[in-house]
Amino acid sequence: MKHTTVVIIGGGATGIGILRDLSMRGVKAILLEQGGIASGASSRYHGLLHSGGRYAVKDNEAAKECIEENMILRRIGKECVEESEGFFVLTQQDDPDFEKPWVEACGRAGITAEQVDVKEALRLEPALDPTIRAVYRVPDSSVDGFRLVWHNAMSARRYGGEMLTHHEVIAIEQEAGKVKGVRARNTMTGEELRISCDMVVNAAGSWAAKIVQLVGLEVGVQPDRGTLIAFNHRFTSRIINRLHQSSDGDIFVPHGSITILGTTSFHADRPDAHDVPTADILKLLDIGEVLIPNLRSYRILRAFAGTRPLYVPKGAAAGRGASRGFHVSDHSEEGLEGMVSIFGGKFTTYRLMAEKLCDLVCQKLGVHAECRTAIEPIIESASPEMLEKAAKYFPVHGVPLAANRLGEAFPVVVEKAAAMKSNPLLCECEMVSRAEIEYVAADPASQNLTDVRLRTRLGMGTCQGTYCSLRTIGALTECNTPFAMSPADNLRDFLQERWKGLRPALWGLQAREMDLGRAVYAATLNIDGAKNEQKN
Amino acid sequence: MNRKTDIVVVGSGIAGMTAALTAAQSGKKVTLLTHGVGSLAISSGSIDVLGYVNGKAVADPFAAMADLPENHPYRLVGEADVRASLDWLKELCGKAGMAMQAGEGNQQLVTVMGTLKPSWLTPLSFHAEAIEDVLRVAVVSVEDMKDVHPGLIIDQLQRYPALAKKEFVKAILPNPIQQAHRNVTPLDIARFVERPEGLQWLKDSLAPYAKLYPVLLLPPILGMKHSQKIWEQLCSALNVKIVEMVSIPPGVAGLRLREVMKKALNEAGVYLVENTEVVRSEVEQGACKALTTVATGGENRWEADSFIIATGGLLGGGIGTAPGKAWETIFGLPLDMPENTEEWSSPSIFGDSLFARMGVKVNEALKPVDAEGSVILNNVRFAGRILGGYDFATEKSGHGVALATGWHAGTLAGKE
Repeated sequence: MKHTTVVIIGGGATGIGILRDLSMRGVKAILLEQGGIASGASSRYHGLLHSGGRYAVKDNEAAKECIEENMILRRIGKECVEESEGFFVLTQQDDPDFEKPWVEACGRAGITAEQVDVKEALRLEPALDPTIRAVYRVPDSSVDGFRLVWHNAMSARRYGGEMLTHHEVIAIEQEAGKVKGVRARNTMTGEELRISCDMVVNAAGSWAAKIVQLVGLEVGVQPDRGTLIAFNHRFTSRIINRLHQSSDGDIFVPHGSITILGTTSFHADRPDAHDVPTADILKLLDIGEVLIPNLRSYRILRAFAGTRPLYVPKGAAAGRGASRGFHVSDHSEEGLEGMVSIFGGKFTTYRLMAEKLCDLVCQKLGVHAECRTAIEPIIESASPEMLEKAAKYFPVHGVPLAANRLGEAFPVVVEKAAAMKSNPLLCECEMVSRAEIEYVAADPASQNLTDVRLRTRLGMGTCQGTYCSLRTIGALTECNTPFAMSPADNLRDFLQERWKGLRPALWGLQAREMDLGRAVYAATLNIDGAKNEQKN
Repeated sequence: MNRKTDIVVVGSGIAGMTAALTAAQSGKKVTLLTHGVGSLAISSGSIDVLGYVNGKAVADPFAAMADLPENHPYRLVGEADVRASLDWLKELCGKAGMAMQAGEGNQQLVTVMGTLKPSWLTPLSFHAEAIEDVLRVAVVSVEDMKDVHPGLIIDQLQRYPALAKKEFVKAILPNPIQQAHRNVTPLDIARFVERPEGLQWLKDSLAPYAKLYPVLLLPPILGMKHSQKIWEQLCSALNVKIVEMVSIPPGVAGLRLREVMKKALNEAGVYLVENTEVVRSEVEQGACKALTTVATGGENRWEADSFIIATGGLLGGGIGTAPGKAWETIFGLPLDMPENTEEWSSPSIFGDSLFARMGVKVNEALKPVDAEGSVILNNVRFAGRILGGYDFATEKSGHGVALATGWHAGTLAGKE
């Protein structure tokens, strides 16, 4: 049995943020995540670092939090933030009476919203519909969700924080109205683990209600499905928002060479409602065309869905009407000492959420330590010398990509690459080299090819894994990576994951690309037929 | 420009080239219009006839054809023509110095994934039954060849009960063509081995392994045009059995077959037009009068008495799709598909999916028919993946259907 002070449940932005914050304050903590790091909502959204403009009118407090956190993250997490800025665009279909109150509300929240001449805006963003009526510039940014969470995880580890992925919490042990420990099951091996602790922090997002049920309580967390589309093109330089009351399909967020369009908002009956209905995609395309008329000519890379963990107290509005604010709940008020939960919120404010929660935890533990997460950079940036050294072993364009992805592990991977006879790119679309993949795969948090994909972006680009997945599982088998699944099962699992994102959008260029994948993996390599003929 | 021939064929995969060749061999003047390189550029170069029916492995494809649905292309052309097409290709390749051979039943080819894949007619260098008789096998790759990992191949091969006890060993040959940060593919090495210094390199590099292991598994690197000769020379000089493995694109062996067929097209007097795209068709009273293509230099009009369309499926461009809609791209023939895209496919990537079997509905003469079975275009035939009723990927029937339907269409058109 292990012992620690705090067990954190949930390896999304909030949970990992809490792990880092507590570890920095010197509180011992272990984090349990049922899947891979950031495999829930933290990676299933559009990757927008909100300026707050979206919430200015309806929830000015949330807008203020956004702009403050936005500025903090640009400072502490610059490797994860692409300072692309955003436009709010008033189209022919939007109510012009919304413009004035919106500008005022931005002012109240401290968000700079500067009007841009429509002609100039169209010069800067020629893909926009030429009939748009007004444009404002705001400090929106793109943020890489996986990466930010991973950098937080690396920093947390450096401060002594521990995390176990693929561990599902099955029981919370209590004695005389007080939490004593947690039981978890390793979902890969089935082994059970007990951790005794003084406190449990429930940061399970959409799964938070399930965790609370383990101790016989109830809470109003409502999973709300949001569908997004990733396109294989960057058709705008900036983030594009509709200037209207927040609604579906009104945000385009460019990342590197792709663009994400989101989102929808539908009541979900379970937290892992990640299936994407075709109707959602068609709806997003219809709405998206109002901003980008040429939208349907671009290839869709994949569609995906996540569930927002909306906090809906009894009698409050759900869906779009629900608050995007967050709520910390101390279960001692319900008679259970030693357990706190955090509900709702959004990625942009994850750090603030962690800070507030850790303040409460420290107060309860009697620890007096200041929160430093707003000042201290999450990772140390790669030095110019290290970047120069890396250029010998990585393709030049791949150096900053790898440095930003890997954060503090970058020097280790550069050393590894230097020791290898050659360091080929296994994923050419996202420029991921063999040294990086071997390093990430060897991390205990990586239990399969999909975990490696999430952390490195392998297979997330143009080929969607058609070329890189075979060579990656080949390289990893070659260096004896101890995955529980057989190489072929790993590959099938990986391709199946990709298929899920493509299947509801099976038409046009993406259907063609998918047919190539079937030709290679089924027709040529027979990985479908071999499934029943080989031992797995 | 306007040009008239007896027959116009569209498509440069196996189906199109076979249709053009067989029609020309019947004495017709044939024009072959092609846009890209066709499926051979990504293929294994072996003719898979039928490996699985409803997910069950098939030992004898011809015996299993009776279990196929009535609208399956093999049922439409009939077993006799499937066999005739295979004999025809065998003769063509044999004459060109790239012998293709069938086994007793389906042969099992070794892939670079360490899986076995059922196939029927294959070049000699791919025949893998030698593994059955030996204990020790070396799995060979070349340094920097990212898509071929002996460790993976061995791990996976040993998961077959029949191969679990074999002694496999990894062998990595030094990379003979140094290129920084570049992918070395089997095609690069095959082209190098086609040259005398390349062949010498391969012979010298394999020699130490040949002394210890009676069978060597290699990526498809045994040259291009002279692959059979190279294979024979190496096997005899080193006194081993060399087996080439099936690899992913670029399809080395597919390109070898493509060269053989292109040469035959030239000899048969087929007028081959490359890099051109059909943009329009003229249909009058249920017959096609002409096709119009566009290429650099403008539009061309191609008249003929009959037409064979072998433009492929989703990948080849023969089938176009939009949400809830699919159509054949030259004549715009609608394909019967559900309006809801979710019904097109199985939740499982290799499951039984409608879209995998979508295509033009034809009669036994491979002419397009409507729902009642009446011919829509009386001088047009379809061949290859544009046809509906089969799933090339899960059945392992891609080249087999392309060959049989191309042969059937070309032979019938040739007789008219």
